[in-house]
Amino acid sequence: MHRKGLLGQLIQNLCCLPGVGPKTAQRMAFHLLQRDRNGAKMLAQTLLRAIEEMGHCRQCRTLTEDDLCDICADNSRDDSIICIVESPADVWIVDQATVFKGRYFVLHGRLSPLDGIGPDELGLDQLEQQLATGRIKELILATNSTVEGEATAYFISELARKHRVPSSRIAHGVPMGGELEFTDSGTLSHAFNGRVEM
Amino acid sequence: MTETVVYLQPAFILQQRKYRETSLIIDALTRDFGRISLLAKGVRKTKSKTAGMLQPFIPLTISYFGKAELKTLTDVEMIQPFSQIKGLALYCGFYINELVACFLHKYDPHPEVFGHYRECLSGLADGAGMEAALRLFELNLIECSGYGLQLEYDDKQHPIASAKKYDFNVGLGPVEAGRGQFSGRTFQALSTRELIDPQVLSEAKLLMRTVIDVYLQGRQLKSRAVINNIMKHTGGERGLQTYRQSQHISNGVGGVITPSNMKNE
Repeated sequence: MHRKGLLGQLIQNLCCLPGVGPKTAQRMAFHLLQRDRNGAKMLAQTLLRAIEEMGHCRQCRTLTEDDLCDICADNSRDDSIICIVESPADVWIVDQATVFKGRYFVLHGRLSPLDGIGPDELGLDQLEQQLATGRIKELILATNSTVEGEATAYFISELARKHRVPSSRIAHGVPMGGELEFTDSGTLSHAFNGRVEM
Repeated sequence: MTETVVYLQPAFILQQRKYRETSLIIDALTRDFGRISLLAKGVRKTKSKTAGMLQPFIPLTISYFGKAELKTLTDVEMIQPFSQIKGLALYCGFYINELVACFLHKYDPHPEVFGHYRECLSGLADGAGMEAALRLFELNLIECSGYGLQLEYDDKQHPIASAKKYDFNVGLGPVEAGRGQFSGRTFQALSTRELIDPQVLSEAKLLMRTVIDVYLQGRQLKSRAVINNIMKHTGGERGLQTYRQSQHISNGVGGVITPSNMKNE
């Protein structure tokens, strides 16, 4: 349903958000206009500022409005360990969930030969420059547990080997509190292949 | 089109694309129905049981239904046991997936290609016979898709002699030439499917590459370009040396063409 006018346009534009269809967009638009005009104004201003000012961190390629992101600028963090992730969202998730106190490197994607996405698209020459400085002592490969994520991890581990930096892959298998009965067979077979000594 | 319902069809996933919030569009190679497109609804949710299985290189049985070109996936099961492919072999796997997508039309059944594909994957998982597995798959795929190569006789109908040198013309087959690029031995090995000798393997690679390029009619293989780029980054020959020393293989997918092994004519 396409309504004309500003309201229709607002509803349509809200649909660009993930998980928001026409119905939700309609609710959002009416709520903002009827109940929370102040909030809407703030949202619009922040959104505009973020779009204009946010760029990528010079060092780790995550999203930031500064030259260096908070994590890279934080002196208390360990410079010698780098965690490789696929997206800026992963940086947040890993940082909240783990005790990891090193730095990150964001690929903004994964190697995907069938889509023609290679090392150049992932900024890996930048990572290689960092590896070449000799400052890095360990790489943690936290790419997704998909075939493409696996291929990416393998490639980066080869790069690291070239520069004599040890690299490790995050473990995958049975989730915490998971019962074997309800674990899917793919995960379970992976868990068996990657079992650890006790 | 009438409604089709297919149960427990053996298949491999060639490629998958994200679709909407939680779904995937999958390009799969099935045994009895050839290459098909599937919509897998809601499989990217956190509690999805199938997300781990819907990956390339895993032998699956799939069930689906649908009237239109895009079928809807209803069930998927993994066939155990299977040998996982890792590391460099993954890139070779992407390459054969792209080849299948290039050479087979959709909905054109090729049960024999499915068998060759499965054999090739187990060859890749094996590691040591990676190069030979790739060449055999290329050869078999070309043959099954109707472009079989003349390997037993030269253009004048003389049997191939192992000591002689030949050039290869895709239309005519081997052409005897004093300073040809390929030895008769290579053609004999390809026709008996016994690829062991390193010299034969490297000539077979060049031969298959020439042939594939002709049939692709100028279309570039994306995976090949990316793999060349990967080789460049890891230092090409030098970077993967450690791996090769243990596995006795070279870059199976074509690698960087150097002027010395490029076809000049």
